[in-house]
Amino acid sequence: MNARAINFTLNGQPVSTAIEPHRNLVELLQRFDLFGARESCGQGLCGCCTVLVEGKAVSGCLYFAVWVDGKSVTTVESLDADGQLSSVQQAFIDAGAFQCGYCTPGFILMSHQLLKEHPHPSDDEIRHYLSGNLCRCAAYPEIIEAVKMAAKTAP
Amino acid sequence: MIPFEMVEPTSLEEAMSLLDPEEPTIRPVAGGTALMLMMKAGVFQPTRLVCLHKIEPEHARIAVVDGGALRIGAMATLSQLEHDANVAKHQPVLARAMRTLSNVRVRNVARVGGALAHGDPHMDLPPVLTALGARVSVSGPQQSRELPVEELYAGYYETVLEKNELITAVTVPPLGGRKAAYIKVTSRTADDWPSLGVAVSFALKDGTIRDPMVVVSAATEKVTRMRTAEQALRDAAPDDAVLCRAGDAAAAEVETLSDAHGSAPYKRELLRVYLRRAVRQALDERA
Repeated sequence: MNARAINFTLNGQPVSTAIEPHRNLVELLQRFDLFGARESCGQGLCGCCTVLVEGKAVSGCLYFAVWVDGKSVTTVESLDADGQLSSVQQAFIDAGAFQCGYCTPGFILMSHQLLKEHPHPSDDEIRHYLSGNLCRCAAYPEIIEAVKMAAKTAP
Repeated sequence: MIPFEMVEPTSLEEAMSLLDPEEPTIRPVAGGTALMLMMKAGVFQPTRLVCLHKIEPEHARIAVVDGGALRIGAMATLSQLEHDANVAKHQPVLARAMRTLSNVRVRNVARVGGALAHGDPHMDLPPVLTALGARVSVSGPQQSRELPVEELYAGYYETVLEKNELITAVTVPPLGGRKAAYIKVTSRTADDWPSLGVAVSFALKDGTIRDPMVVVSAATEKVTRMRTAEQALRDAAPDDAVLCRAGDAAAAEVETLSDAHGSAPYKRELLRVYLRRAVRQALDERA
């Protein structure tokens, strides 16, 4: 019922679909077979559903899908679209910054945002910026290490 | 969430016409981060949401007006507030408060007007803006009005706004050398909803406190001024004994509520301690 036609840019490609106003952004992405953003806590606290809208990080679980009409949406799947892992992705592997991997897409997108705002972040800045991302395997020390590694290798 | 209608007016007037003073299932939505939590919990089931994203862009601007007052458009995001150069210069306590408010993603989306109109006593902006003597501009279909943030709240999740009124801006008067601080206490993670928020502002003349404002949130059913604590601080030199008396006065005066973030007696003790710390922090910071 009451689905609305929306047009937006998804990872650089113009796309169109119809979606109901009560759906959130994570549900919208699933329709495009994108499963990197996951709804976990559903309350904007854990960061597993991190998506960039107009280049800014949002919680996909707390963002109405229809609001991306006319906007650009970027997901974790865009990072290695050219066949090459991003500096942050590579650093997460090199530092072993995950165990089960469920929270990893959110951490990686947030780390990209963090490095955009703070190219050479201190431990404190990293902890503060990523305080809204939860890793229940508690790989935090390795995640902080990975962000610092990525800061060194970033082009 | 259950289905509903979402309308996207392009002007403030049109937005007000789509709201209904008698219909609680029709509500405006700004950033939606708080409203969606209520909807997911089934506490609020709308028939219509009036989305404010497409109204005039001037409502998202932050500007300095009238000799140093800060006018913050209701549709400004909390991130704008966090990073705006004028906020940092004129009201640094506001910029600092943003750093511990939820997380980056929520601040990118949540709006100042929503944070004020939601009426949740756990939010950070209402106590800080109350302590700064800020006023909200409100538009309704018949008339516009202005009122202090202090008078905006009627109770737990209740404001004095009509259902077809919208906050358009909040104006923060110049600090004029006053000192200000806001401290919140979270009992779980750093970015959790607080157990207590305490905001203070005061002038300092000849080593004594003048015109103190002491405002408590999160521990109480609504943002509340602590008048007896203010009395204890007024015209006193802020030494340890005075700060203890003020903390004790606030603890005796406050009516705390128990919730998942702490019991009522726990929050009372938090206030006793954190009121002192807030005053000391205000004295240390350049406001």
